[in-house]
Amino acid sequence: MDMSLAVLAGGIMIAFGALAAGIGNGVLFSRYLEGIARQPEAQGKLFGQSMIALGLVEALPIISIAFGILVLFGIIGG
Amino acid sequence: MELTPKIKFLGLTFDVTVMIGTVITALLVILFVLLLTRRREMKPRGAQNMMEMVIEFIRGVTNMMLEAKKAEKYLSFAVTIFLFVLIANLLGVIVMVNAEAHGEIPLLGITHEGLQQSHEISWFKSPTSDINVTVAMAFAIALYAHFAGLFKSPRRYFGHYVQPYAWMLPLHIIDELAKPTTHAARLWANIFAGEVLILILRAGTPYLTAVPMFAWIGFSIFVGVIQAYIFTVLAMVYISQKVADDH
Repeated sequence: MDMSLAVLAGGIMIAFGALAAGIGNGVLFSRYLEGIARQPEAQGKLFGQSMIALGLVEALPIISIAFGILVLFGIIGG
Repeated sequence: MELTPKIKFLGLTFDVTVMIGTVITALLVILFVLLLTRRREMKPRGAQNMMEMVIEFIRGVTNMMLEAKKAEKYLSFAVTIFLFVLIANLLGVIVMVNAEAHGEIPLLGITHEGLQQSHEISWFKSPTSDINVTVAMAFAIALYAHFAGLFKSPRRYFGHYVQPYAWMLPLHIIDELAKPTTHAARLWANIFAGEVLILILRAGTPYLTAVPMFAWIGFSIFVGVIQAYIFTVLAMVYISQKVADDH
């Protein structure tokens, strides 16, 4: 593959990873804020649960970002 | 990207960095647990409290998935996974050893092509930032789950593949393959992306990158702890799916 194409591909992968993480975390934390707005006393419980969900949600975008980094630095698909 | 020293032996390639990392992590886990459980007392104080806290925390995870009596069987396994992944993740944030190479080192597999990419040789990094380690762990856990389910009740194990309809068999097979793959990639990608960003920030001007570096290292510690927890939870989920006697 042409080197500039690999750079472009890596850039697109990282960009979509960031986009997906933004949307996912936005949905997650908007629901978390809704939850504590309705029931402020549940904040402690919801915080722990939302952090675990954050770890689960973050995984797929960050897999895309990690492969994007690998492509960008020419380790795979270069 | 930094290079890693590799040794070829019997047709297999061994990554020296990963071997050093896993051995040090395993030794540290053993050392921590030994130090924290010396002079055990019925009324715990100090170090023993900390170890009991970790075990109670993981007991919460296993009890969530299985009934209490069965969960106890998997508790030590889950604590081992958690401590290993946690210390492996955190070690990479604290210590990273990179050396510089300017000539070829055939013994360590540093070739001319590699040197054109980077002059840095990594001697120590998080073992979990290498995909081979996490894939090995995830597939070992998946194999364990499958065999535990198979030995418990072969009929139920194979019956599960055609539940609720026979045409769902391909979906079940894809599911069984996707589970360990995502399990491994989730941990690896988080730690790997974190380390690469630390390397990129380190290469920049200190005046510009000092504050983002501090912020990112703090976030890396958080990510390391969360991912260790999630790795343990998912391992227990995959095992409990095969051995639980529900429905």
